[in-house]
Amino acid sequence: MQHSPAEATAEPTARDLPGTADSASGPFPRLLHWLLVAGGLIGLGAAFTLAVEKIALLKDPTYVPSCSINPVLSCGSVMNTAQAEVLGFPNPLLGIAAFAVVTAVGAALVAGARLHRWFWLGLQAGVTLGAVFVHWLIFQSLYRIGALCPYCMLVWAVTIPIFWYITLHNLTQRHLPVPAGARRAITVMAGYHAVALTVWFLGVITLIGVRFWSYWSTLV
Amino acid sequence: MSQGQDRAEARRAKIEAMRADNRRTAARSKNVKISLTVIGVFALVVAAFFAIARFTSGGDTANVAAGESQLVRADSHRVQTAGDGKVTLVEFLDFECEACRAAFPVVEELRKQYAGKVTFVVRYFPIASHFNAERSARAVEAAAKQGKFEAMYQRMYETQAQWGEKQVPADGLFRKSAQDLGLDMAAWDKAYNDPATLARIKKDLADGQALGVQGTPTFFLNGKKFEPRTSDDFKAAIDAALAG
Repeated sequence: MQHSPAEATAEPTARDLPGTADSASGPFPRLLHWLLVAGGLIGLGAAFTLAVEKIALLKDPTYVPSCSINPVLSCGSVMNTAQAEVLGFPNPLLGIAAFAVVTAVGAALVAGARLHRWFWLGLQAGVTLGAVFVHWLIFQSLYRIGALCPYCMLVWAVTIPIFWYITLHNLTQRHLPVPAGARRAITVMAGYHAVALTVWFLGVITLIGVRFWSYWSTLV
Repeated sequence: MSQGQDRAEARRAKIEAMRADNRRTAARSKNVKISLTVIGVFALVVAAFFAIARFTSGGDTANVAAGESQLVRADSHRVQTAGDGKVTLVEFLDFECEACRAAFPVVEELRKQYAGKVTFVVRYFPIASHFNAERSARAVEAAAKQGKFEAMYQRMYETQAQWGEKQVPADGLFRKSAQDLGLDMAAWDKAYNDPATLARIKKDLADGQALGVQGTPTFFLNGKKFEPRTSDDFKAAIDAALAG
C-alpha cells in the first residue's frame, strides 16, 4: 500500500514515455530540426546573394552576375524577367525574410523548444506557399524564360525538403486533420520519406535534362 | 509483488525502446538503400541517353543528309549564291579573331567582284580562348533568326575593336548592335539565350574540327582547304576554279 501512490504516478509515465517519444521523434527524429537550420541558412545565403546581384544590376545595367556562366546557367537572363518580381519587388526579398524565420525556428527546435499546434500550422501555411511558389518558378524558368539561375536552384533544392518534412511531421503528429482512411497511407509515406524526396528531386532534374537536352548533349 | 511488477514494467519498457530503436535503424537503412537504388537507376538511364546521343551524332557526321555536305549544311549561312553553283567558298571564322577581321574587307571585295559567280558560305568557328567569341556568334545567329545575318556579321567586325580581346562579357554591346539594326529585341534576347542557338554554333564548330580546321580564318574552295596570303591568291584560285 505504501508503494501505491508512487506506482500510480510511475505507471502512466512509464507507459507514456516510449509512446510519446516514439511518435514525437517519428521516423526522422532530429532530421527535421537540423534540416530547418541548414536549409534555412542555405536559402538565406542564396536569397541574399541574389538580392545583392540584383542591386548591382540596377546600378549598372551592363553588369553580368557572377552566376551567368553560359546560355543555360544564366542568372542575368532570369533576374531581368517579370517573373523575378512577381509581387512588384524582387523575389529574393521574400526569400531573405522567409529563410531567416525558417533558420530561427530550426534553431529553436534544436535547442529543445516545444511548439504549439497553431505554430506548426502557421509554419505549414508558410512552407506550402513557398513550395507552390517555387514550383511555379521552376515551370517559368524552364518553359517560359528558358534559362536556369544557379542561386535560384539552390532555393528550389532547400524549399522542397523543408516543405516535405514539415508536412510529414504535421501529418504524423496529427497537427493536420487526417481522415481515418488515410492514416495507413501516411505511415507508409513517412516510412519511405527519403525515397519520396529522391523521386521528387529526380523528377525536377529530369525536366531540366529534357528541356535543355540540346545544350547538354553538346557538352559530351 | 508491486516491486516485481515495477521491474517487469521497466523491462518491458526497455525492450519496447530497443525495438523502437531497431525499427528506426531498419527504416533508415531501408530509406537509404531504396533511395540509392533509385539514384543508381536514374544515373544509368542518363548515361545511356548520353551514350546514344554520342553514338548517333557520330553517325550523323558520316551520313550527311541529301543535298548537304559537312562543309555546307542545309542551315549554313550563304551570304550570296551563284546561279550555277559551280564554285563555293566556305569560310570558318571567329568574330573575335583579328586575322578574320583583316580578311573581312578582302572577302567583301571578292563578293562584289564575283557576285553571281561564286557562292560564299560562312560557318562559325569560335575559338575557346576568345572570351566573347561564342557570345558574338550567338548574337549573329540570333540576328540571323530575323533575317539579319549579314548585317550583324558586318557589324561584329566593325565594332570588334571595342569588344575584342577583352575578358569581360560584351552582351550589352551586342544587344545594342542588335537594337541599332532595328531587330525585334524580345525575339533577339530569347534567341541569344536559347540553348538551341549555342547548339547550332557548336554544330558548325564540330564540322570544322572534323574537317581539320585548327585556326581562323580557314577557307575551303570547292571542298579543298587553301591558304591564300593576299587577295591576289584568292582571285587566282577562284579564277582557276571558274575556268576549270
